[in-house]
Amino acid sequence: MTATAVPPRERGITLHAVTKSFGGNHVLRGVTADLPADRIYGLLGANGVGKTTLMALICGHTFRSGGQILIDGEDPVENAAVLRRTCFVHEDQRYNDNFTVAQVLAPGPAYFPNWSAETAERLARRFRLPPKTASKKLSRGQRSALAITISLASRAPYTFLDEPYLGLDASARSILYDEVLTEYVAHPRTIVLSTHLIDEAADLMEDVLILEDGVVAVHAEVDLARRESFIVRGPQEQVRALIGAREVLTERHLGNLLTATVRGQASDADRALAHQTRLALEPATLQEFVAAIGVRSHDRSDIA
Amino acid sequence: MSPAPDGRPIFLEIADQIAADILTGAYPQETPVPSTNELSVHYRVNPATAGKALNLLVDDGVLYKRRGLGMYVATGAPEALRARRRAAFVEEFVLPLRAEAARLGFTDREIVDFILKDSS
Repeated sequence: MTATAVPPRERGITLHAVTKSFGGNHVLRGVTADLPADRIYGLLGANGVGKTTLMALICGHTFRSGGQILIDGEDPVENAAVLRRTCFVHEDQRYNDNFTVAQVLAPGPAYFPNWSAETAERLARRFRLPPKTASKKLSRGQRSALAITISLASRAPYTFLDEPYLGLDASARSILYDEVLTEYVAHPRTIVLSTHLIDEAADLMEDVLILEDGVVAVHAEVDLARRESFIVRGPQEQVRALIGAREVLTERHLGNLLTATVRGQASDADRALAHQTRLALEPATLQEFVAAIGVRSHDRSDIA
Repeated sequence: MSPAPDGRPIFLEIADQIAADILTGAYPQETPVPSTNELSVHYRVNPATAGKALNLLVDDGVLYKRRGLGMYVATGAPEALRARRRAAFVEEFVLPLRAEAARLGFTDREIVDFILKDSS
């Protein structure tokens, strides 16, 4: 492992040149990020960019291939004191098949020093988790609800939520977002949330990290990340003239009409030109931006 | 609260909403507005976003901080907000109306007639 280059934070997560390979598959190619404690982070990017792997590495659930990870200035690998400050329920977490929901929740206080029985009880009730049902008989949505219940009740200073909404309907997702904020404002802590439902969860986040090809492509405050791209649509020649030398993330054609997602912020001059030449110019949503980065990355690997 | 279609940051939307509630008298002068945490849970936004909205209104003199008690509506805030909106009225409402009317070929006389007819 390489020597430290980033001064470690007293409270927070420091990642320096973190790599992870599975055989010849280089999932993480050098992730560097400095994450102050007690914020809600959105961890975004297409499937396979390494979001789950990164969370598992930070929590010491798997070993990194290289680089450095520090939580509160300490390496989490085989460090029980640090690991007790983290909570990461895997998306495909298996429990003892014969344990009921109540039995899965019962040992919470033994694992997590800050465990809140009251939060566990409230979430289990709001998600209508059947306490006496065997964990192996839970539906996809109920397993997600159980994972959310454990994660929020843990009140772990570093809580990781990996696509926590799988199988949840709109009302249950609404409860999820409510409870994340309610718990967070009452007991501030670091929450890392990976999600593909970006538009409905973006307002929860303070900062976002967008992974692309195993590295951090964007790390910014959510309002700034929202301004990292725009969409312009109109006759091909005029659209190209407006874009100039800027990077086009994705483009779609309909006859002579071109819709392009462009990297960067639209300037007043862009807006004036768009108005004058009657082009539609609008900011891309964060979800559109992340999707465009993913599409660009797919198309690149097709060529390679 | 969902992002504005024009990509305006959410904290500006929340600040506008609080300002509108002050204008209608929902938050009278010299009374507290909800805390950062209350706004965060209510609008379902990160507390940092809610905090930015409150700070913006403090910077504008609409709210002021009472140590240990939270944010209060400043005396004269409704009048100040109303004056600011009046100043922006032509640019935000009249000019776009005239621009669209011009695109559609309406004369100024016709616009005036529409307004008078609808308000009678």
